[in-house]
Amino acid sequence: MSRPGFVLEVDERTPALLMHEGEGFRLERLPLGSRVIYPPESLPGLRDVDEEIRRALAAPLGRPPLTELLVPGMRLTIVFDDLSLPLPPMRTPDIRQRVIEHVLELAAANGVDDVELIAGNALHRRMTPAELKRTVGERVFRSFFPHHLRNHDAEDRPNLTEIGRTKHGELVEINRRAAESDLIVYVNITLTAMSGGPKSVSVGLASYRSLKHHHNVHTLRHSRSFNDPPNSAMHHSYDRMAALLAEHVNIFQIETTVNNNLFPKQMDFLNKREWEWNLKDQAAFLAVRRANELVPPARRRQLWHRNAAPYGITSVTAGAPEEVHPVSLRHVLRQQLTEVNGPSDIGIWGLPYICPYNVNSIMNPILVMSLGLGYFFNLYRGQPIVRPGGVAIFYHPVRNEFQSVHHPSYIDFFEEVLAETTDPVAIETKFEEQFATDPWYIHLYRNSYAYHGVHPLYMWYWGAHALEHLGDVIFVGGDRKATARMGFRSASSLADALEMARERVGGSPTITYHHTPPLAMADVR
Amino acid sequence: MRRLFAGLRDDVRMVRQARDLHGQARTPRSALAHETVRGSSSFATGWARTPAARAARRAIQDGLLKPVTWTQVRPQIEGLDHLQRLSGPVVFVANHSSHLDAPLIIGSLPRRLSSRLAVGAAADYFFDTRWQAMVTALVFNAFPIVRRGHDRRRSLAPQLLAEGWNLLLFPEGTRSEDGWMSPPRIGPAHLCIQRQVPMVPVMLRGTYAAMPRTRNWPMPGQQRVIVRYGKPLHPAEGEGARALHQRMVQSMARLWAEDDLGWYGSLRAQARGELALPTGPLEPVGDGTPALVQPGSWRRVWAASRPLPARSKHLQVWRRGS
Repeated sequence: MSRPGFVLEVDERTPALLMHEGEGFRLERLPLGSRVIYPPESLPGLRDVDEEIRRALAAPLGRPPLTELLVPGMRLTIVFDDLSLPLPPMRTPDIRQRVIEHVLELAAANGVDDVELIAGNALHRRMTPAELKRTVGERVFRSFFPHHLRNHDAEDRPNLTEIGRTKHGELVEINRRAAESDLIVYVNITLTAMSGGPKSVSVGLASYRSLKHHHNVHTLRHSRSFNDPPNSAMHHSYDRMAALLAEHVNIFQIETTVNNNLFPKQMDFLNKREWEWNLKDQAAFLAVRRANELVPPARRRQLWHRNAAPYGITSVTAGAPEEVHPVSLRHVLRQQLTEVNGPSDIGIWGLPYICPYNVNSIMNPILVMSLGLGYFFNLYRGQPIVRPGGVAIFYHPVRNEFQSVHHPSYIDFFEEVLAETTDPVAIETKFEEQFATDPWYIHLYRNSYAYHGVHPLYMWYWGAHALEHLGDVIFVGGDRKATARMGFRSASSLADALEMARERVGGSPTITYHHTPPLAMADVR
Repeated sequence: MRRLFAGLRDDVRMVRQARDLHGQARTPRSALAHETVRGSSSFATGWARTPAARAARRAIQDGLLKPVTWTQVRPQIEGLDHLQRLSGPVVFVANHSSHLDAPLIIGSLPRRLSSRLAVGAAADYFFDTRWQAMVTALVFNAFPIVRRGHDRRRSLAPQLLAEGWNLLLFPEGTRSEDGWMSPPRIGPAHLCIQRQVPMVPVMLRGTYAAMPRTRNWPMPGQQRVIVRYGKPLHPAEGEGARALHQRMVQSMARLWAEDDLGWYGSLRAQARGELALPTGPLEPVGDGTPALVQPGSWRRVWAASRPLPARSKHLQVWRRGS
């Protein structure tokens, strides 16, 4: 039986608490009276995942059994979430592999020859063959790669189809093969309340022309939060697009959810509450932390990215997207939601080594910003854990490092755009068109393994709501120049950060530490 | 290399904060409702009662445990004369505010009782790691007591009594937070009624001041501690657990008061029904009646951690034991 999430109030009994900081972690003593948001304990995974997949495909919600939808001569397109999900990547076999294999077994039995598999990577970088193989499994890879297993290309004009416009004038344009298929089977991992459902096809297979209707500053500032779909303008846009898509294409959605088992057994202390650490956990903490400090940075990053999470699967649901997604959301919230009583003056987050856009890559300063002020700040329902005008304190080294193959436009954005302005609206107005249409960035996106040219701007918009809401942003341990370039401040210790925050929140502020990962979503009343 | 060791030292210091010798932290108050049951009674302790283990235990207790304890504090043992006619099995029940309590009782009991003594120890504290469970079982002949959850009724205690072992139980269930007693549980009384064995109340004073909860070693200065044995309480014909429990509470209250009122004075106060368990210092309130100082007040710890005076200020007319 997993224990629910709860809010700890730091007292004299509370030991030092774990804080992630990039490719490392530390223990930190928080001031007495600080609140700490803990997620519910990891839920038990399904005992027989294959049986659960079979059951979901045989008795889907709002659709006939999948086997009845698969007929000889049909065009079947299987789309799956790309490597940005889940985080950290899943220990193999990936749940997508298991689901796709079940779908293909049925397709083969029903005589379906025309099958294509597409990674729904939108404007993300292409997945390498090795990454594709890891995601779909060796058997699928061998049968379909390279001609029928590929990445979506959002800049391949001839292979994009305009579906139409929503009543709000939003253009819906998706991958032609998918649009012209008799059936799209979308295989998803709903890691947070933000992902899955209407977002899957309308975003995963879309083009820049379509994405810009919801990936913009105005929409993101009115998505409060983007992990709370009913109050997210971004999701309202997804819903309109999904409704239009439903009139033109037949989508069979298969959604899965995972529990909070993020770290392997030998690093179990990262999954546990600190006062419950036994001697083994304490020894493991000391050993891993010291070894981590000794390893050269490049090797350290490699080791962290080699971590494959031993997730348990908590649900498999299939059928019509609009009926499947609410079920998945319930499972996600059951695993992540913790009730919090009101916001505080200061919010603290420890930022880990990984975000959706640096899998097998480097977490550059822009990605640090989007992880902290975008993803983690928005892990709330109701209201942010920090009051308007409050201060956010993040732990991360914010090194001025970029992966030039994966993030070429990020480098230019950091060096040129942020040197001029950090205002999301000004950036959007002045630079978006330029970055989105730059032929060199487009070439790298299509032929190399680069994120789309406009992607760093989207990352900046991702934090637009937080930038508007917060009075100050401080990075503990952050590189001074890199944080200053982004308009933030850095501090060498928590005590310094609290001292710097005084000018905004006074000398005795209320503090909330959002203890994540594992993922915790704050339901702030 | 120096940097490495400096970093390690800092990390160790950080990990050790708010943790005891066993590396365990107390559950923060706001997390108590979400506490999980750690450990279980499943750790087998039968091996600790074999002849070989008993011989090893005797060597450890006589050669190490008692000498160390007796050099770090100044024990004053009273009431041993009450135990002269006891042959066992018997259940000793004591207040509990320090890790010194068990060694003091074990070291002060006559050999015929201590050699067949088993100590009830919290399963979630002493038996949560294998090495700790083994050491505890060997040195103290401890057996696990599950304090919470479904397993708490599956105790080894009745079986041990049936096998002729004496038991030492701490009915408060845990060491005192502030040196004062919390309400004892009725479990030992049930056990004595069920097995029809006598119960001996034991009162320890000064052990909190000598080695309070957060310390891993006694305070310097050889502080004085008192171990006072009461008269055995034999279950009367038809007596229920609640009545025996009440007698135990009265007896413990009297043993505590003996220091303040003297032996005879404590008897008189008991007869007048004026005694209660030492649950905290009293303070006068509006109408002049004394009330307990509220839990959480620093004055509770302050009062409990005051060392016992070097000598009893009361002239003892009948000095008992040695």
